Amino acid sequence: MTVQINFDSSWQDEMAERIENDGPWGNWELYKLAVEIEKHTIIPDFEGLQAPAHLPELTPLPHQLEVAKQVVENMNGKAILADEVGLGKTIEAGLILKEYMIRGLVKKVLILVPASLVSQWAMELNTKFHIPAIAQKKSYVWEQCDVVVSSIDTAKRAPHKDIINNLNYDLIIIDEAHKLKNNKTKNYEFVQNLKKRFCLLLTATPIQNRIEEIFNLVSLLKPGHLGSESVFYDKYKKDARSVNDDEHLRELVNKVMIRNRRSNTGIEWTKRHVETIPIHFSEEERALYDSVQSLRGSEAGLSSSQFSLMTLQREACSSREAVFYTLKNMLQRQENPSVGFQNTIAQLIKRVEAVTKNSKAEKALELIKQIDDKVIIFTEYRATQLYLQWFLKQHGITSVPFRGGFKRGKKDWMRELFQKNVQVLIATEAGGEGINLQFCSHIINFDLPWNPMRLEQRIGRIHRLGQEKDVKIYNFATKDTVEEHVLKLLYEKINLFEKVIGELDDILTKLEFGNIEDHLTDIFGKSNSEGEIRIKMENLTSMIQFAEEMKEGNQRAATGNP
Amino acid sequence: MQQQEIHNFLEKYFTANNCELMDNDKGYMTVQLTVDLDKELMNRPFYWHYLEKTGGVPNPMKLTFITNKQKAPDDIKGEVIHFGSPRLHQIFASTKNLAGYIRLYQNNQYPTQTPLIPWIGLNMKISYQCDRKRDVFHSIGLQLINGMMVEDFHDKILKLPLNSKIPDYAYTLSPLIKPKSGVNRIQSFLRTRVEQEDHTWAEEARKRWQKDLELLHHFYEDEEEESDSFKTEKSALQEQYEPKVNIEIVNGGLFYLTENAL
Repeated sequence: MTVQINFDSSWQDEMAERIENDGPWGNWELYKLAVEIEKHTIIPDFEGLQAPAHLPELTPLPHQLEVAKQVVENMNGKAILADEVGLGKTIEAGLILKEYMIRGLVKKVLILVPASLVSQWAMELNTKFHIPAIAQKKSYVWEQCDVVVSSIDTAKRAPHKDIINNLNYDLIIIDEAHKLKNNKTKNYEFVQNLKKRFCLLLTATPIQNRIEEIFNLVSLLKPGHLGSESVFYDKYKKDARSVNDDEHLRELVNKVMIRNRRSNTGIEWTKRHVETIPIHFSEEERALYDSVQSLRGSEAGLSSSQFSLMTLQREACSSREAVFYTLKNMLQRQENPSVGFQNTIAQLIKRVEAVTKNSKAEKALELIKQIDDKVIIFTEYRATQLYLQWFLKQHGITSVPFRGGFKRGKKDWMRELFQKNVQVLIATEAGGEGINLQFCSHIINFDLPWNPMRLEQRIGRIHRLGQEKDVKIYNFATKDTVEEHVLKLLYEKINLFEKVIGELDDILTKLEFGNIEDHLTDIFGKSNSEGEIRIKMENLTSMIQFAEEMKEGNQRAATGNP
Repeated sequence: MQQQEIHNFLEKYFTANNCELMDNDKGYMTVQLTVDLDKELMNRPFYWHYLEKTGGVPNPMKLTFITNKQKAPDDIKGEVIHFGSPRLHQIFASTKNLAGYIRLYQNNQYPTQTPLIPWIGLNMKISYQCDRKRDVFHSIGLQLINGMMVEDFHDKILKLPLNSKIPDYAYTLSPLIKPKSGVNRIQSFLRTRVEQEDHTWAEEARKRWQKDLELLHHFYEDEEEESDSFKTEKSALQEQYEPKVNIEIVNGGLFYLTENAL
């Protein structure tokens, strides 16, 4: 087979000219240096990475090196890195970035990450990779600095957006890219308009195998590769709901996505110990919960919104403050609340006022004293978060709050305070993503998210590379409430906590019946009796278990073991 | 290249370019650029143009490079240089640019009038390129009197004392082969050699290319005419996969050596 050979002839023309003019001739020292450089920058093999040899202080794990190699060799620098939480996607992205910089292929880089991780990314790139990444603070940074880290929310705003849109980037890295799977959002549009050569999308939540998610994410990496949107949907939406059904799509996904699981990284992980802590309501708390419960099916105007009722019920399991806050909002949102509606709310508020203690908070206090080490408390509700902070302070325990809405500086500061000065960090759901707290090994789930992936994100904050101790997770579940049902289903019957996250993804995709959270809301909201709830929950459980068995069956078949 | 090697490299580069190292300590260095090097590195042609027009006093820049943040004092401000940093790439390019062509004489104490034989020496990089890349460094010298070719030429002449001025009691023989045809001989020698190599890598790249093309076709098969985005995607694949070999001359020049030097 013949290969085209190009010989660069510009050198000899100029050489002839210099002989003619008797110079100018180069300096022997520089001449030798130039050869030395050439020998250093040569890529001796088709395969393999250059970067590790230049980073003597960094010891990447085998799976991280493998990912970097794959992306550089086989994916042409356009990839979705979808390792499970805590396997070090930052390191992988750093290696790829470094590799391209060494090969001289990448100079201008934009890194978009959650606000809470901006400083951390910049610091890690600087210390671990000797890459002078700058955390964006002033608007001139975009043009003047080559490697800029920013949050997407900052970048997409004026005046930054226009500046960025005019720049040509060699590489763009986007952390938490699962937020880009909807192409109707501003964020999506922003990223789509960036001018880029290579692109890495990092996500711990894998693509849920939905056609449109695939289409959207692949279109970010390789615009136009899937043909036009309408033709694509015509072709796939009808017959195949799952990507796995179509060989071409599967091939495509394998070309752009890499996913490592904990179980096959060969790394020794510290253990997870999970303990369910049953909470018994006080009489007043029970009365509050029951009165919300009894509203279902009544004509008070509240029942029209299944969602609000469900929220109230869940909040009643968390704190009276959370209930109160929602009630107040519900009242305010109605322009002309009917008398009946007002009465219902007033009655509920009375119940709220009757509550004098928070059984969960007291249990938490007891536990924190007993643990006598750093603890993270997760709650779904802002009001509960505030209350807990106040409550712990009353009992001489220091704590800091953490939530998604904090500015970057504040997030860094809170993390730092937690690491150095205070015992407890109280985080709301939005705070669960994008903060690494492996110096802590205890989590209290004050209330439980109904979406198992969110729970995994929570645990992933501490159970990640770098965690040296076994991780302890305490789940609070109030007896005889929705909470207990959910815990039983998700966290006991399907052994969610013992599973490694990858398995869960598989199971959830196998299910293909959508979002577990929706199912739960449906079950609790629409069932007319305890009995019905139980039966429906059992159905859901067996579906999950069925999917699980299917998966195990597949695996056995694949490996050929009986 | 590790951080210490980078530091040493910068030292050599600036010294060879007659720049004063005002500060040179663990983890960092401060360099006073010369006018020439300021023009070479700092990319401010308007300043120099303005200065030459007005006849002002040239004020070349001082640069501080930090080669190791941990070792450098905390209060030092400067550019952090790492392997892969654009500044280092620029200096690499500048080194090659400043030392692309050379003429050297073997510098011995010659007791009597000694003839020096002309050689043309080329340092080259052969890049095998498809969706992956591999480079091989080659240094070949060709004697311009009898056409003899020597490999690893650069390593061999490193052992010789060389100087840019013709030493006393030495005279040069005129080449029988013109330098330009010397280069051509080396070129065709390399070409033949590369052609005879095993090109499984290229075949495999073509296979990967074909597979990607098929996948692309699949997504477009329902569209009646070739759309622009299909064409763009197709040429992007060609760009990515098409195997080729590029031979680039890093640097080279004329070397006048004694008869038995190599």
